[in-house]
Amino acid sequence: MKQTVAKLIDTTLCIGCKACEVACQEWNDQEFSQGVFHNSYQTMPDLAAHFWNLIKFHEVEKPAGPVWLMAKYQCMHCADAGCLRACPAPGAIIQRENGIIDFVEENCIGCGYCITGCPFDVPRLSPRTNKVYKCSLCSDRVAVGLSPACIKACPTSCLTFGSRADLKFLAEKRAEELRAEGFSAAGVYDGPGVGGTNVLYVLKYADEPELYGLPKDPKIPWTVRLWKGPLKWVGNTIFFGGILAAIVHYLKVGPKEAHEDD
Amino acid sequence: MRGTDLKPRIERFNAAERVAHWMVAICFLYSAFSGLSLWSHRFYWMAAVLGGGETVRAWHPIGGAMFAAALGVLFVKWARQMVLDRDDLAWLAVGHRYAMHEEEGVPESGRFNAGQKVLFWVQTAGALMLLVSGVVLWFPQAMPRALRLAAVFVHPLAAVVSLGAIIVHIYMSTLVVPGALRAMTKGWVRPGWAKAHHGKWYREVAGK
Repeated sequence: MKQTVAKLIDTTLCIGCKACEVACQEWNDQEFSQGVFHNSYQTMPDLAAHFWNLIKFHEVEKPAGPVWLMAKYQCMHCADAGCLRACPAPGAIIQRENGIIDFVEENCIGCGYCITGCPFDVPRLSPRTNKVYKCSLCSDRVAVGLSPACIKACPTSCLTFGSRADLKFLAEKRAEELRAEGFSAAGVYDGPGVGGTNVLYVLKYADEPELYGLPKDPKIPWTVRLWKGPLKWVGNTIFFGGILAAIVHYLKVGPKEAHEDD
Repeated sequence: MRGTDLKPRIERFNAAERVAHWMVAICFLYSAFSGLSLWSHRFYWMAAVLGGGETVRAWHPIGGAMFAAALGVLFVKWARQMVLDRDDLAWLAVGHRYAMHEEEGVPESGRFNAGQKVLFWVQTAGALMLLVSGVVLWFPQAMPRALRLAAVFVHPLAAVVSLGAIIVHIYMSTLVVPGALRAMTKGWVRPGWAKAHHGKWYREVAGK
């Protein structure tokens, strides 16, 4: 079996240079996106269909004074992916052997269910093509042994690419270091509620991921689970059971008597 | 045109009712099969038959909206006649005997029997749920997340109920009650049919 690949984001080393954003746009040949200035060190207000990688910027008041928190935001490549569960079009969302969740444009029907299924609010529907897009973890680069474009561009080693097991080990070590430096809440964020994400974060304030714009306890929505689980069984039982019951009834009991010539 | 058939006929459904019913039926069947194609990956071949996944995604909501509109017409025409009376409740209590053709002791029905009335209200409730949740799923970009989360569950749930009920309806009207289908296509029934299946209604129309 292939190793699961992952990306480690050590937010404590991010300087907010946006090199990763540019590299992502370049490699994936994205159409030009006009930046928006809204009194923040953030290029864009949000992810977009053709903007897959955003450094979120948050200014937070802490007892020791104000802190700047930068966190790269993109698809988390969940082991148990909500988008994949919700998708009705076979082959539109695939989970590769190395753990990458890839959207396949030609199979996408533009229903937007993946947007609802995603606990991280990542996929975006393009009004122009009516298809959904997101970070592919540069699956085309990874397939030929290269690291993703964002990783390649990062000047501070905030971003690391490798096997998930290795990076998890590194991340835990780094968190330990931070705790030793006095950041008692430092820790690793990797979404246990979705079977683990293949994007790992080291956070100084791991007890408050919301400060970074990350969901506190990401989980596949229960309505999606109920719909794709029990409801599907109940529904199929009713469809096929109903048809079967009609056949049995017709053969055993048959039609009511006709009164054609009364 | 009566042709050479000179035996007595009773009008059961007028032309407007028949047109409305078949509009509902056509829109329902399109919505059902296009919807089933997205219900399970194993049914996705139905999408290929209907023009492909993108076509289904574009047209399923339109078919659904037309279904709701056509059902609205039937609702206006029939809602008052579909109210269940005391006999209907008694009928439902012995519905299993009706299903086995043991008709003695089963109360006589009016223009619609209790089963048809229940179907009418199930489909009306189902269509309302499908319409509201369907609009949310139609324009996901314009909808808050909480609504979308509810809609992805409510829409298939209502569809399961609606499809389950329609299987019974189609089976009963095409295979179990000879003459029922003709009442909805040509519009008339024989007096004997009316007496046997809708006794109260027969006396109403015959007594005029």
